Amino acid sequence: MVLTGFGVFSSIGVGAVEFAEGLRSGRSGAKPITAFDTKGFAHANGCEIVDFQPERWIRNLDVDELGRASQFSVAAARMAIDDAHLDVETLREQRGLISIGTTDGESFDLDQLVESEIWFGPENMDATIARRVRAGRLSAAVAHELGLTDVEAVTIPTACAAGNYAIGYGFDAVRTGEVDFALCGGADAMCRKTFAGFYRLGTIAPELCQPFDADRKGILTGEGAGVLVLESLESALARGARIYAEVLGYGLNCDAYHQVAPNQASVARCMELALDNAGIKPSEVDLISAHGTGTKANDITEARAIREVYGDLPPRTISIKSMLGHTMGAASALAAIACSLAIVHGFIPPTINHVTTDPECEVDCVPNEAVEADLRIVQNNGLAFGGNNSIVMLGKYEGVR
Amino acid sequence: MSAMGIAVPDQVRGPVITGWSAVSPYGIGRDAFVQGVSSGRATVSVLDTDKWPGPDELACLVPDFDVREVLGKKGTRSMDRVTGLAVTAVRELLRDETRQRDPFADEEVAALVLGTTTGSAQSMMDLTRDTWINEAPFHVDPGRFPNTVMNCAAGQCAIWYGLKGPNTTVAGGRASGLLALNYARRLLTAGRAHTILCGAAEEYSPARSWLERHTRHPDENATVLGEGCAVLRLQPPGTHPHPLAELLCITTAITHPHHITTTLAHTIKRALHQTRLNPHDIWAVSPSTPPGTTADHERNALDLIFTDHTPHHIPAPGPIGDTAAATATFQITTLLSHHQQHPQPPNRIALITAIDRDGVLATALLRLL
Repeated sequence: MVLTGFGVFSSIGVGAVEFAEGLRSGRSGAKPITAFDTKGFAHANGCEIVDFQPERWIRNLDVDELGRASQFSVAAARMAIDDAHLDVETLREQRGLISIGTTDGESFDLDQLVESEIWFGPENMDATIARRVRAGRLSAAVAHELGLTDVEAVTIPTACAAGNYAIGYGFDAVRTGEVDFALCGGADAMCRKTFAGFYRLGTIAPELCQPFDADRKGILTGEGAGVLVLESLESALARGARIYAEVLGYGLNCDAYHQVAPNQASVARCMELALDNAGIKPSEVDLISAHGTGTKANDITEARAIREVYGDLPPRTISIKSMLGHTMGAASALAAIACSLAIVHGFIPPTINHVTTDPECEVDCVPNEAVEADLRIVQNNGLAFGGNNSIVMLGKYEGVR
Repeated sequence: MSAMGIAVPDQVRGPVITGWSAVSPYGIGRDAFVQGVSSGRATVSVLDTDKWPGPDELACLVPDFDVREVLGKKGTRSMDRVTGLAVTAVRELLRDETRQRDPFADEEVAALVLGTTTGSAQSMMDLTRDTWINEAPFHVDPGRFPNTVMNCAAGQCAIWYGLKGPNTTVAGGRASGLLALNYARRLLTAGRAHTILCGAAEEYSPARSWLERHTRHPDENATVLGEGCAVLRLQPPGTHPHPLAELLCITTAITHPHHITTTLAHTIKRALHQTRLNPHDIWAVSPSTPPGTTADHERNALDLIFTDHTPHHIPAPGPIGDTAAATATFQITTLLSHHQQHPQPPNRIALITAIDRDGVLATALLRLL
């Protein structure tokens, strides 16, 4: 199973080329939030996409009928197909899976409806906005835009690990030959609801996201989408596709422990499941892309889980959330793309904003500056509310074996 | 059976449904559902407008469903309705099917796959409302924040009953139940789980009812909203002495609203082709019967397929109202209820169809055992 096309919308770059440049140069997407009214919050930085022009990518659907998260998912899917040099006409003759993960779906629209309800009453809701909110649309709209009929479109709202879930589902569906291709990934739009919730929990950083830093203060909410084209190696070779990376396997489990606090043993177990599924040993892993939210609890728990599996000398462990914030359901999809680009271009993206590593997070997070590295196997962690863990293993494609 | 058929009677190849339960407007638990289906009684009631300040006069609610009364006071202070419905349905399944009262032990890793439309729109909108009407925008209830994420119900079921396997929420509107079943089937095929609880949940709430009210087409105005959660237990073949039904296949497609009839007919044909069955092998059909003219398209598609014979019609669970994401799972539990009440010789095959407003179509073929 290989990845042959990427669609990327992030606060540090649009498209795989720009995203790779952003990752390599350690670009920061942090800036004051404009997506919603932040009056009354003492601080309100986020990693917003300020110049998104959905019309550039969405050719067939009316963008006003799509919420912002669906606009991201559809635009990213279109970009991924273009990037993979896939002919849509050919895809229409094939069987496919469209799996898009999300945390908030169209909560940005629900926010608008609540605001209007407060002023004008619920009987005056905007019907166009109300039509946009069902979560299934994030994936169904991709099929409608591309004119794909013989596809299964499923939205996977498993919160902040959803992107990895969606990639895993694509992996299982393509591997058995049930489908010829998968368009999988994640999308989310910034919303007031989630910002306020994390703020109330004391987990929004005032200015910057500093994963694994002794002085880290939490997350910055972000937005965007990452969509990946996944197909069999045979299919990719037959059409002479450029291969970014192989998907080697993945692991999936649930803490069954706490709604918001991760559980070390369970996260470690998920890593073992992913390693087993991919048929690799911990010593073969060259890099871990951590969930790395930059909260006190996550980073300690995750670092300890990594050491539980990898021992005292774990692979370098980075968090791209330092650059593009926490893009929620898009996070692990964008991270999977980042891992693949790192493999292709031979570098490790840095963990920026880093001053002093927390002694309780004993990992080499590649502070501030990217480093050159030949990466063969990379692990991409996704952890979520509800104890939903999903970890994807990616490998360098080294030719026909 | 067709000459090419799958069917040496006892040769079960697909995953099997080995148990189920439901929390529905018929009441809590499988027995209440079976009795309700048997009687076909109406469940619609006039809403108490103080408790349900929405646009509806009528709805089909789970009777007397108060989360804290049903599940107790521990761990339920902040639990929302859809989570309560799901946790209760899982509790009932574990109770009914295995007499299991304790959470799963570590070594028995059970998975959960749950379908939803949008989680709890009420929980999501309530939190945003609090950011505007309270003194400061961050004066929101931290205990209720997790409810605003769509995987809350599935995560809570895992916490309550020790479900440490894959835990996945899937959203595909009215087709969610079959998309969840397909996801569960693939988990089994990939060896990622051995026991899967698989279902779908939908709550009644003023928020949902307002969203519905503003998005309905004129032909859908007679819709009465329902709610509930149905959960099936899915296991690999040969792992249970008395499976109820075998899942033969699931097919899905996406359609433009103008092409529902032809696309659904095509999707059913694919299911028959994959299982090497003919239309006359189908003993019963359970259409989703969505509101409005979409139901006509569904019926037309079935008429295109079944030209020579008329399969038994398993009525959609209409008396419990429009249960949205939970519809397709309730179609299956209705089928299983019929089978329980009116046992047929084994190997009868039933077709389930589901149509979502956003163009997702799904069909399932089940062989009753």
